[in-house]
Amino acid sequence: MKGFSALTEKPWLAMPEGQLIYDRSGGTPAAQIALRFLLVVISIAFLLIFVTFLTRSQYPDFQALAGEPWLPFNQSPRLWATTVVLVAASAAMQWAWRSVRMNRSDGVILGISVGAFLALVFIMAQWTTWIYLSNLGYGVSENPANSYFYLFTGLHALHVFGGILAVVRVFIRIGQGSSIEQVAIAVRACKTYWHFLLGLWLLLFFLLTRTPDTYALIASACGLG
Amino acid sequence: MTHFAIADQEPELHHPKTFIGKYIWSQDHKVIAIQYSCTAIFVGLIALLLSVIMRLQLGFPDQFNFINPSMYLQFVTMHGMIMVIYLLTALLLGGFGNYLIPLMVGTRDMVFPYLNMLSFWFYFLSVLVLLTSFFVPGGPTGAGWTLYPPQSILEGTPGSGIGIILMLASLAIFIVAFTMGGLNYVSTILQARTRGMTLMRMPLTIWGIFTATILGLFAFPALLVSAIMLLFDAVLGTSFFMPAIVSLGEATDFEGGSPILFQHLFWFFGHPEVYIVALPAFGMVSDVLSVHARKNIFGYRMMVWAIVFIGGLSFVVWAHHMYVSGMNPYFGFFFATTTLIIAVPTAIKVYNWVLTLWRGNIHLTVPMLFAIGFIFTFTHGGLSGLFLGNVVIDMPLSDTFFVVAHFHMVMGVSPIMVLFAAIYHWFPLVSGKQLNTRLGMIHFWGTFLGTYAIYLPMHYLGFLGVPRRYYALGDTSFIPESAHTLNANITIAVIIVALFQLIFIFNLFWTLKKEPKSRLNPWGAASLEWHTPDVPPHHGNWGRELPTVHRWAYDYSVPGVVEDFIPQHMADSDVIYEPGFDRTTSRREPT
Repeated sequence: MKGFSALTEKPWLAMPEGQLIYDRSGGTPAAQIALRFLLVVISIAFLLIFVTFLTRSQYPDFQALAGEPWLPFNQSPRLWATTVVLVAASAAMQWAWRSVRMNRSDGVILGISVGAFLALVFIMAQWTTWIYLSNLGYGVSENPANSYFYLFTGLHALHVFGGILAVVRVFIRIGQGSSIEQVAIAVRACKTYWHFLLGLWLLLFFLLTRTPDTYALIASACGLG
Repeated sequence: MTHFAIADQEPELHHPKTFIGKYIWSQDHKVIAIQYSCTAIFVGLIALLLSVIMRLQLGFPDQFNFINPSMYLQFVTMHGMIMVIYLLTALLLGGFGNYLIPLMVGTRDMVFPYLNMLSFWFYFLSVLVLLTSFFVPGGPTGAGWTLYPPQSILEGTPGSGIGIILMLASLAIFIVAFTMGGLNYVSTILQARTRGMTLMRMPLTIWGIFTATILGLFAFPALLVSAIMLLFDAVLGTSFFMPAIVSLGEATDFEGGSPILFQHLFWFFGHPEVYIVALPAFGMVSDVLSVHARKNIFGYRMMVWAIVFIGGLSFVVWAHHMYVSGMNPYFGFFFATTTLIIAVPTAIKVYNWVLTLWRGNIHLTVPMLFAIGFIFTFTHGGLSGLFLGNVVIDMPLSDTFFVVAHFHMVMGVSPIMVLFAAIYHWFPLVSGKQLNTRLGMIHFWGTFLGTYAIYLPMHYLGFLGVPRRYYALGDTSFIPESAHTLNANITIAVIIVALFQLIFIFNLFWTLKKEPKSRLNPWGAASLEWHTPDVPPHHGNWGRELPTVHRWAYDYSVPGVVEDFIPQHMADSDVIYEPGFDRTTSRREPT
């Protein structure tokens, strides 16, 4: 109970004399702490939209995008394809991190390059899905289910894009002569970020392609029905 | 690899040489803090001016032709939003957070200085976008600071075109700025404290800022989400929040959306926002009271736990802002209960402040006057909150001047009293000069008494049923004859208080120009920020070695010690005791 003992310390009492203990290496890197907080912030944003989505899904005008044969995501090969791309991107980032630990610079550069490229492919694939939906007449304002699809996937794409910017920064640092050891924390952060992107996408994929019955079930389980 | 912020030497610290590098694109937390503060104070003065114009209309209706109903609503909206977000949040966290965190925890800078710089410039951009809305066709939004749909984006509400879009965009940019700053603050506090600075040795200012930042990081996403969804409704015609509605006699294309959903999202941010503003103020006022009463803060641990507890509770009280929205009565019961529970840790804090003063060696300096003033205004504002926290009392008082008086006392006047206390207290550190005391005293008494002249009668008007957000009251026969001139009295008090703020602004310039250099650490404070090698601190804050902390920040009037305070970085072996004082028994040897 490190946290509990830290909060129950009595600072007004004299501390024992002698060398004060502190972590000379700096402990958990600040970047990692910041990333954890950032991921919590992003999770909260998506969680809140999930809640509004589930609430809105129980209104009579909500028409789910799956459940009947003619609906666009009853069969969703497009979304499965984008999922595969994102899984591959995540694997590439894992590979980059493995190369960091083995101190192999070629593996690092290859891993983050492939990871970033596939993330870009994912965004473009999402773009084609939006056009596909729009051409089928499922415009953003036609129905709340469509609105949520565009909102969720748009924000997720923006989130992916933010990760790509972070990778670009790693490239710039490597270009400026930083060693693998110096960019290790950043590569690790990218790896965590990509896994998070994938996890979030899987959740979105699941949520956006359900039938009205499933929404009703989830909503009632969450007390929103 | 040790981060440079906590390294004993300065291998990576970049010292800019040019004016632009030093003062514009600066990565030094102190310069960024000053940039944040100046921008926030500037925009706050605009909001103050807007409130004076509003009050002119309320106090003397039909006297000022230049104020029309649309403008009145726009000024109400912009006054509220600017004060809450762009002044208080930005000044307390962006300004004081930036300045004090690295100095008080003993680091050279924030752990991500570049991100810190970006944070300010995004904030600056958000302010520019906000102010731009004054100059676009239709003007700024007049939807009230809560921006409730459906009215906020429907024609007929002032600024429902470009105005509301700019407001939402500005909020989104502000949240990006806050997130960049907030990540910096929490990472720096958790990861870059100097040797010996355990969590429970941090000054309460840091605890307040730390907890408020976490609240901000977790609460602002709700505002971001609601802003984005409302933008979708306004621009793309979606119906997240918009129900089927007739606007200006014509049916709109909206259908099925829920305005209540927006209210939930907004207040899920909105209530923690109260504590995002209050907690740093709680922390800073604790430190000011302790320093100027020459006494350790009473119940330090309880103060820390209360801050954390209030922070946690602030996420489960939001719907007390929505009692009149037609919610399930059981919901109202739940939120009333949590609201009243939050009064417990808050009251503990108030008692501890008073007990800190009890038998202290109170120095009635200007910062101390403002700090004591805060105890009054906060207690009064908090007590009226207990009224409004109860559903049955809130129902008749909702949307009256009583509510306006309550929230102005508790989260307008009170944090501003602390901000003034903090500015007067830390100005010698920032500038090396002490603000003129005589002008400071005039400023304090004018502000303190003036705010009571404004808000006490406002409570009364609220009880009488005078509604808020009305351009003109029309038939006022429901108000007793004797209260008819109160609105005019309040307006006169507002003008006087606003003029007193000009004295403060004058004092800032006067002191910088005319006052001599002050003594180092003029208040005799024990916390680290006052013990840098140079005052004002240079870039990098400390010399080659970071300070080592040996004690908490509240060793004042320690029995037997020659000085009446012991700096945090002074080892026990360096403390000088009075001759004949036995440290082990805390007694003087008989002479």
